[in-house]
Amino acid sequence: MNRFLLLIVFLFSLITTSQNTENIFGSFESNSQLLQDDNALNFTSPEDNFRSNNYFQINYDIGKFSSGIQYESYLPNAMLGYYPEYDGKNEIGSYFINVKNEKADLTLGYFYEQFGNGLIFRAWENRQLGINNSIKGIKLNYTFSDSFSLTTIYGQQRNGFELNEATIQGIDSNLNLNKFFNFEELDLSIGASYIGRYQNNSANTLIPANVKSLGGRFNLYSGKFSLNFEAIIKDADVIANEGVIQSNKLYDGTALQVDFGYSKKGLGLSSTFRRLENFNFYSDRLAEGNIYNQQTISYTPALTKQQDYLLTNIYVYNAQPRLVINPLENRSGEVGSQTDFYYTFNKKSFLGKYKTKIAVNFSYWAAIESNFNPDESYDVEFIGNGNRYYRDINLELKNRWNKRFNTTLTMLDVVIDKGVALGGPLGVQGDIKAKVGVIEGTYRYDNGKSSRAVIQHLWTKQDKKNWVGLVYEYNFSTSLNLFIADGWNYGSSDKIHYYNVGGSYSKNNTRLSLNYGRQRGGLICVGGVCRYVPENTGINLNLNLVF
Amino acid sequence: MKKLITVITIIFSVSVNSQSVLPDLNLTILNGEEVSIRSISSDDKIAVVSLWATWCVPCIKELDAISEYYEEWKEEVDFELYAVSTDDSRTIKRVNAMVNGKGWEYNILLDTNNELQRSLGASTIPLTLIVKNNKIVYRHSGYSSGVEFELFDKIKELK
Repeated sequence: MNRFLLLIVFLFSLITTSQNTENIFGSFESNSQLLQDDNALNFTSPEDNFRSNNYFQINYDIGKFSSGIQYESYLPNAMLGYYPEYDGKNEIGSYFINVKNEKADLTLGYFYEQFGNGLIFRAWENRQLGINNSIKGIKLNYTFSDSFSLTTIYGQQRNGFELNEATIQGIDSNLNLNKFFNFEELDLSIGASYIGRYQNNSANTLIPANVKSLGGRFNLYSGKFSLNFEAIIKDADVIANEGVIQSNKLYDGTALQVDFGYSKKGLGLSSTFRRLENFNFYSDRLAEGNIYNQQTISYTPALTKQQDYLLTNIYVYNAQPRLVINPLENRSGEVGSQTDFYYTFNKKSFLGKYKTKIAVNFSYWAAIESNFNPDESYDVEFIGNGNRYYRDINLELKNRWNKRFNTTLTMLDVVIDKGVALGGPLGVQGDIKAKVGVIEGTYRYDNGKSSRAVIQHLWTKQDKKNWVGLVYEYNFSTSLNLFIADGWNYGSSDKIHYYNVGGSYSKNNTRLSLNYGRQRGGLICVGGVCRYVPENTGINLNLNLVF
Repeated sequence: MKKLITVITIIFSVSVNSQSVLPDLNLTILNGEEVSIRSISSDDKIAVVSLWATWCVPCIKELDAISEYYEEWKEEVDFELYAVSTDDSRTIKRVNAMVNGKGWEYNILLDTNNELQRSLGASTIPLTLIVKNNKIVYRHSGYSSGVEFELFDKIKELK
């Protein structure tokens, strides 16, 4: 068997060196942590204190065909805060074969895809969040013409290393209307999507076995202006919490998102309105609301500014699209908006001399005003005046003072519902109001050396009170850096220092980073999707190799 | 397990010889049209491909830094920079506003479901590549002040 494998690999190597259309490539990624006890945090490391998430991916392309395999290992256990289904396992996570020509693109195996905004359907992978909700089955994209294309999918969704038993099917269509209207300056396209889930209901006719979502959208783009609209309705379905069906009634769901943009050189404005009412869709109806973001079909990230610093990342918003009906709290979803404004001062102006750029962001998210009746039905407004969950205002000012020195000044004013930030019922615990100020400076020496320093402070009278933070990073070259950081919660009675020290090396195809220190417990959000990380202390190692 | 290791080590040694090429993917530009990623560096064209996102601070620093020299450098060497946004639906609507608000002159491509990012094995961004005739001749991940000059030195070598 060994000799046979060697022969195959030898033949592969012959082929790759001789022909141009062949390609073998892939990557290896390893994220590990070694936990240790920390009395100040009341953190006792678990017995198996070495945790590691590893991914090995290899692809083989030849002519019109491409294929790949991804092997994953979570030995001895997955990192803290990751989906426990992965603990102690190592298996092939996914594989696929794809063939395409100018019109058709066919994939068999595990695939990723997104319809429109992703609101109705998104299958994606994000290793930092521990998400991989790919579908195993068949995906066909077909381009009928320059104007019209269709995507169809069919399969079962990945859940850990298993597949959920429900079958998922979907169609997404996209029609570009430019040719029909002879637009010169305008690009207009429309689209429609369908996603259906068939999940066995064990002959309980009160639970629908077939549930579908239908969506429509249009996108208008003119160079300076853009307008996007997407609306989705989901069939009446049960609602569930922690693996148990919650009510005798069925509820339908809706999602609506409108985006407006205006920009020209030096100025950009973008604004989004979104309303989600009982809008979430899982490949297992009982997986609703699971904290590991697993088994999702719909994609409903928080639409707020992604924060960049230690202290601005403490009070972050997590989207609340669910319908929750129980004695402790009743809510039906969320509604709100976010606006971004970017401006670069003209080079000839006073501020332009220092290459001043400003960015302003504002967002507001609240419950949809609803009235819940004793029979578990509810009346709901389009927006109304529901409990405020989150409001923030951000201002960022960047300056380049000379060829070597530049600064960034960031200010944040945030109000967040305690239930959203800390857990527990929403709308009844009161708010946390905080202000954060950050000053960052970077100084560039010669030969790729540079220094970066950050000072930040958080003011709040609630929760754990005030914090101060410091970061210093030194780049020895474009490949190597070291840093030291501390977030000191001096306002709380424990006065804990969340210190961290480490470095990274990155050259060509390799990236290695190592750090040691205390991790603050809370939400780690990447791209609006959050993962709860328990407080911990230890060493973290990340390695990424590409070939 | 031993078999897997043998196969992996052999493939590694084989692939050291095989140069990395860009995958065969179509990305969209801001008005929705599709562009084949392989077409940007064909016929001896030099292309810089930089993966970024509106929420990635070092990515924005890198693109801001390059934008100060972009016009000047393009006069010296004929190349184009393709800033590939890996923003997903959460932040994609912000891309046009940010690109214009910051006065960037780059070609903007959209990789909204991370297909290009996945094929390049990029676990983190920013990731910047220099590509010529579809071969990846330089690759750098992360940003530290001054790395843009190393990038231009490599571009000049390809002239």
